[in-house]
Amino acid sequence: VAKLCVCDLLVAQCDVNCCCDPDCTAAEFSLFTTCSIPIVTGDSRLCSQKAAIYSLDVEANPPERIFKLIDHINPNVFCIHTANYKQAFSFISPETPTSENFDQLLKQFGSATFSTEFDSWNINPDSQSSSGANETYRYEYGVPIQTVDAFVRLPSPVVSSWCSDANPAGFLVKQATKCSRLVSVEKCSTIQAVSMLFYINSSILAVSMHEFVFQVNITVQSIIVQSLNGMRTLLDSNEVLRLPTVLDELCINIVLGVSYHITYTEAGEIIEAAASFVLGAITKETLSIQQSFEISFTQVNTKPVPLSGNPGYVVGLPVRAGFRPHGYPLSNTDKHGQLTILQSTSNQDCLAAAGARTPVLFGYNMISGCKLRVTAATECQLLAQTLLDLLKGQNFPEYVASFGNSQAQDVLDWVPITHLHTSEQVKFALLLPPSCQIPVSLEIEVQWTKYGSLVNPQARIVNVTATVTSAALNQLPSGRERTVPITSSVVFTDISSPAEPGYKARPTINIKLPFDFFFPFV
Amino acid sequence: SSVSLQILFYVNGAYYIFYFLATLAMIVYKSQVFSYPDSFLAPDLALLFIMAILEALRLYLGSKGNLTEEEAPLGLSLVLTVGSALLCVYFLAWQTYVLQADVILGAILLFTYGLESVLEIAAIAAFVS
Repeated sequence: VAKLCVCDLLVAQCDVNCCCDPDCTAAEFSLFTTCSIPIVTGDSRLCSQKAAIYSLDVEANPPERIFKLIDHINPNVFCIHTANYKQAFSFISPETPTSENFDQLLKQFGSATFSTEFDSWNINPDSQSSSGANETYRYEYGVPIQTVDAFVRLPSPVVSSWCSDANPAGFLVKQATKCSRLVSVEKCSTIQAVSMLFYINSSILAVSMHEFVFQVNITVQSIIVQSLNGMRTLLDSNEVLRLPTVLDELCINIVLGVSYHITYTEAGEIIEAAASFVLGAITKETLSIQQSFEISFTQVNTKPVPLSGNPGYVVGLPVRAGFRPHGYPLSNTDKHGQLTILQSTSNQDCLAAAGARTPVLFGYNMISGCKLRVTAATECQLLAQTLLDLLKGQNFPEYVASFGNSQAQDVLDWVPITHLHTSEQVKFALLLPPSCQIPVSLEIEVQWTKYGSLVNPQARIVNVTATVTSAALNQLPSGRERTVPITSSVVFTDISSPAEPGYKARPTINIKLPFDFFFPFV
Repeated sequence: SSVSLQILFYVNGAYYIFYFLATLAMIVYKSQVFSYPDSFLAPDLALLFIMAILEALRLYLGSKGNLTEEEAPLGLSLVLTVGSALLCVYFLAWQTYVLQADVILGAILLFTYGLESVLEIAAIAAFVS
């Protein structure tokens, strides 16, 4: 105990206010104000133990450190008199792996993460079956999709960018992976992972863990052939299985990308599986190719519409918008009618902009713009129309979904976009002759509120206002030019009212006298 | 028959019940508060129960021998007293965790055993002659 010093952190140097530090001299002790550690003992539950007490004697001049080694007695009747179990007061040191016990330790502590065999994936049906043999197993979110021999594989990069074939695809987990694979023309027919057969060979089990139920064959939906210079063509006949073959020093029909589409029912069964391939070719110089894989899920009899939240909007997902053509229910296919704003380009010239637009993502305030060069020869009305198209885009939607999962048929779930027009420099309007106005900024303000329970509030869009601000374009003397900045922005404002505490109703005392309480008198 | 021995047997019985319950409770307390692996807990509990059985047998034999004034049960009881004393020393010094309360209770029990042994020897001597 006398040698223990917790505050001695600096090696060969005196720590400040550390009275137990052996590196400190008496002169340094006299400079301390207090002792940061006054007492050092062992386990306090022992009945009698040695304790080292450090204190500073400030009366003496100069102050000196006092060190006392005493016996500390624990008055508690339940103090430990003797402990015959030597490891009681220290941590158990774990087993060091050696070559003898490595296998046993690996079996005990290793799991599927560190195993190299596929055997560890085969879930023992006995261990997983719950009581009731009649229970049907269905796929749940995240469960690996099983095939006849193993799992549907989505090769993905592990640690480095090389493909590992051991990544199972999870049910309803939309994934897209890219990885590199070593190839060579000589071995192109022997490497399994570059041939189409590897991906559509085994059929998928419709229901998890039941081999004797329906098996779904993976059909080839489409084949795109990519030539050596990168041009892709869609093949017409797509039922033919094309295996890698060597042709003139090239190896063709190498799988460069697979895209699985799985159709499932509400009960969690897989009823259809289709795969689209991108096949390419490699030359003698190619050492590695990059393969990309993705998988997507569609529920049967529905058209897939990407949700932006369920039900409230999720920050970062696009704001869904749509049109209402003449009283018909809204259409909200994701390509048209998405709320977009102008995307700034590198050359910042409005008129040369290629019309690039970026979708508005919920919760992300955005601002973008460009610079407009106005010369004397510009025609104002034409310019105003061009700028309005530039700011609003080709298909500026009329309605915005108030929830992330609003369906097109629920008309009340959609919020109309309010359009406002303001103009700058109103105060000069009386002085100058009326000139034409050009829109210089579009500001979309999206007001949203928190909806639902306090514990799990959902974001709901309440109001969308698109304000177009116009400025007057004065005639310039010929030869001069002016640069007008054009901006467009999106702002998300939280207008949720603060939560009010709700109190339970006070309990009322319900006392009723019996009917005949005043019997003799009434 | 020795009255003091009989009284001592009676007191011993009552005290032993208290000792047994207290030691059991303290073992439970120790197993919760300290790190008490099963390989150490099992022998301690087993020995405590063996001691209880031994004690009951010993007191019965001693009391019977004293009342019927026979030497054989008293002699057997004396031998068993030695065994009980050893077990008491185990719980006093060689247990996995010995608390101060364990020491106090064990010391009292050991003192009682010593007194009993002396009185039993005196009683045997009295009955033989």
